[in-house]
Amino acid sequence: MVDEGELERRIREIGGALERALPSRARHPVRSLDERAMQLASEDAELKAALFRFVDVTPACRSLDDLSRHLAGFLGEVEQTPPPLRVAMRMAETGPGRAVLGAASARGVRHMAHRFIVGESPRAALGVLGGLWDGGAASSVDLLGEATVTAAEADRYAVRCSDALETLAQACAAWPERPALERDSAGPLPRANLSVKVSALTPLLRPEAPEVGRDDAARRLRPLLRRARDLGAHLHIDMESLDSLETTLELVFELLDEHELADGPSAGIVLQAYLRDSAEQLDRILAWARASGRRPALTVRLVKGAYWDHEVVEARQHGWAPPVFEDKRESDRNFEALTRRLLDARPLVRVAVASHNLRSVAHAIGYNRTRGGADEDLELQVLRGLGDDLLHALTRQDLRVRAYCPVGDMVAGMAYLVRRLLENTANDSFLSEQARGADLDRLLAAP
Amino acid sequence: MNPFSNEPVLDLRRGEVRESLTAALTGVERSLPLRVPVLIGDQSGAGEGIESLDPGRPSRVVAVAGTASASDVDAAVTAAGRGHREWGGRSAEERAAVLLRAAGVLRARRAPLAALQVLECAKPWAEADADVCEAIDFLEYYARQAVELAAGRELIQVPGERNTMTYRPLGVVAVISPWNFPLAIPCGMVAAALATGNAVVLKPAEQAPGSALMLAEALREAGVPAEALALLPGYGEAGQALVRHPGVHAIAFTGSGAVGLEIVRTAAETPDEQGHVKRVVAEMGGKNAVIVDSDADLDEAVPAIVRSAFVYAGQKCSAAARILAHEAIADPLLERLAGAVEVLRVGQAGTFGTDVPPVIEREAQERVERYAALAGAEGRVVARQDELPEPGFFCAPTVACDLPEASAVLTEEVFGPLVAVERVGDVEEATDRIEASPFALTGGLFSRNPRTVELVARRSPVGNLYVNRHITGAMVGRQPFGGNRRSGVGAKAGGPDYLLQFVGPHVVTENTMRHGLVVE
Repeated sequence: MVDEGELERRIREIGGALERALPSRARHPVRSLDERAMQLASEDAELKAALFRFVDVTPACRSLDDLSRHLAGFLGEVEQTPPPLRVAMRMAETGPGRAVLGAASARGVRHMAHRFIVGESPRAALGVLGGLWDGGAASSVDLLGEATVTAAEADRYAVRCSDALETLAQACAAWPERPALERDSAGPLPRANLSVKVSALTPLLRPEAPEVGRDDAARRLRPLLRRARDLGAHLHIDMESLDSLETTLELVFELLDEHELADGPSAGIVLQAYLRDSAEQLDRILAWARASGRRPALTVRLVKGAYWDHEVVEARQHGWAPPVFEDKRESDRNFEALTRRLLDARPLVRVAVASHNLRSVAHAIGYNRTRGGADEDLELQVLRGLGDDLLHALTRQDLRVRAYCPVGDMVAGMAYLVRRLLENTANDSFLSEQARGADLDRLLAAP
Repeated sequence: MNPFSNEPVLDLRRGEVRESLTAALTGVERSLPLRVPVLIGDQSGAGEGIESLDPGRPSRVVAVAGTASASDVDAAVTAAGRGHREWGGRSAEERAAVLLRAAGVLRARRAPLAALQVLECAKPWAEADADVCEAIDFLEYYARQAVELAAGRELIQVPGERNTMTYRPLGVVAVISPWNFPLAIPCGMVAAALATGNAVVLKPAEQAPGSALMLAEALREAGVPAEALALLPGYGEAGQALVRHPGVHAIAFTGSGAVGLEIVRTAAETPDEQGHVKRVVAEMGGKNAVIVDSDADLDEAVPAIVRSAFVYAGQKCSAAARILAHEAIADPLLERLAGAVEVLRVGQAGTFGTDVPPVIEREAQERVERYAALAGAEGRVVARQDELPEPGFFCAPTVACDLPEASAVLTEEVFGPLVAVERVGDVEEATDRIEASPFALTGGLFSRNPRTVELVARRSPVGNLYVNRHITGAMVGRQPFGGNRRSGVGAKAGGPDYLLQFVGPHVVTENTMRHGLVVE
């Protein structure tokens, strides 16, 4: 049993130290422009819709003129247009005005995209990844891409993944040694780390027939696992919407149990705390890990989940009870419960806690220490672009942290970008509360 | 009554749900063949004559149905005349209570009813389940609408005069239903007629008598008097005799354009002994087009088009048949669409994960093959699966393009897994082409420009326009469904105006002045 009072005191202490270690906002003047746009959007639902629709369509526009016409169309649907946007709408009325407006807004969207997407290709991202490593943080690369609807697209994604593994493994070899990032008590941790999406590995995801997508994705994932094993890289299989959850779990369990993959690579899976039955999913993951006995141990990345709106809308349209917690505090409580179960389950699994919520992160660190765990046996993860400040604070505290780094071009990255913007402008998100200057005691209170 | 809400479809992501359906399928398989008698009042004729086959395994007889004769038709209409007097004499609330009970009966049998559609019509599970839900929705929705309608309409009142407007049933309604929504469509037409106090003679498609029997049984169990609902399985002749019968007041039909127009013609003949003009509610075919503008998100458009064109092998009147693609994105669209169609899973309806089941019968298979061959001869076939499962009336999912504008592939309803892509210079040109078509059932638009959406919404003649989504799967109360032009008479099934097709308005004006005194 844990002394909850003592743990809470510890969480405050850790949270306070992290907060003090956050870089001050004033030191990032460049960022303020999109921060302001996002701030504006989070205050006005119509404006937010207009902004998102505009960001979303940007790569599909054929010309600056076309782009401005879209912008004016979206803004036309906002009832109370703020003055700077009324200027934009007037500019959209003439050809030369549209060219100027189009160029300016395209720059804006590109700027926003670059904050979240580290490069157009793994090679182009190496500079950022190396910089992170030098600053004391590991990374995981995620290859953004268009939706996979054909077999050729799935094949192309698999080739990109294979190439990325190669590029990363080669480049990482030259990085300086960083013992804190390369080893935990269970053994070595690969430097090269790639996250892959099952929905990109097969055009045959069928929610009502998980085995169909599983078998088709397995044909492409198996060679990637082999490649990762041979290169000594880590391969993480991401979790997406509930439609592919069963497929993903079955796929990972089945492939990792195959004889040729019994000794590697290091691999991982994701647990989404916003799902009401995530506790049962953790049961399954642990039961598999116990039965399989595979080494290196499976890494479980605990996240809140990024498809909340999708899951709720889909459930409402079908008349189903939403599969996710609708009250954010319930998600937060569940996140802490799962954090504890995961940390207690070591060394059966390796644990990565991915959150930008100072409380959730401080809780994981505090619980781990309370139970006598070593800091090196808890990985913390943040998203590039959203969690940069937190990453900075965590590295300053000598905690083991990894940044999730999306790589890809703008067309491919748009769906990702919109999801991140949604997260950043959600009124109840930790980041917006923090941005609004909520006090530390409130931010660190138990959910 | 609580407010209407749609019956939730099953969540097939859940393994235990799938298992319960598979178990129901085994149960229904054991009970085959079903016997579907001619049901007239208390009389039930022998169920033999028509065999409905499993399209995925044509050697299996799913149902053996009777064939209604001319005298059966006459007897059914005569009995329905009596049934109408009894049933129509009840209050709207009483009738609504019966329909809600019938909804409950269907709800309790959802799994076996869906299983029967899998076997009789080769409807894949998700579609079969949705059909059963829609049937329940129609009962629940029209029951409530009928109670509302019974209150009549508000009229202008002046002193000394009382005006009331109410709606009364027409009498005997003939319902002629198709096989592709074997429970929902007959149920919708029957429920609308019954809710408003009419008696019904139902002539279901010969390919799906089993589901029609399930519907009739549920309604009678729930308390619809035997004489207020007759079931006449049979071929087209039975339907023709029914349409001609002078005792029929209205015909509700869903099916092909050729049969629909024949019904309109026949119903217009008004012999001397017939004391009324027949009303026809006809929902007919479509040649539905989806416009894809240059700013469309192909990640969304391609899966939505595939779903619209190929789910249930394209055998929905709402299915997408033409894709009008902006030339700037036509090539990537074609490439991705072709690739997506090549990986479609053609297979048995009862197998979870099947995208394209067999078509309903050999004749349909041959028709689709003829159009596919024509598409190859007149244009270019860019995707087609060569290997098909056996046995079963399977058709290869096909994508064609580069067809001449007058090609029959672009102008006639194929009703199968075949979609044709056309290039257009802009959305205006696409809208012009759609306007030139006599069909106007459903349509789709993929565009992220609000002004383009507004333009197409204003100009499109179709009954149901879907923007940035698939174009099938209308929901009761959410997407009142029905076409314009030669696709239908404009009655919107599952919408607030539909019941008006089944009633006649009556206005009573009473003078309430007596010797200078208002005696209200």
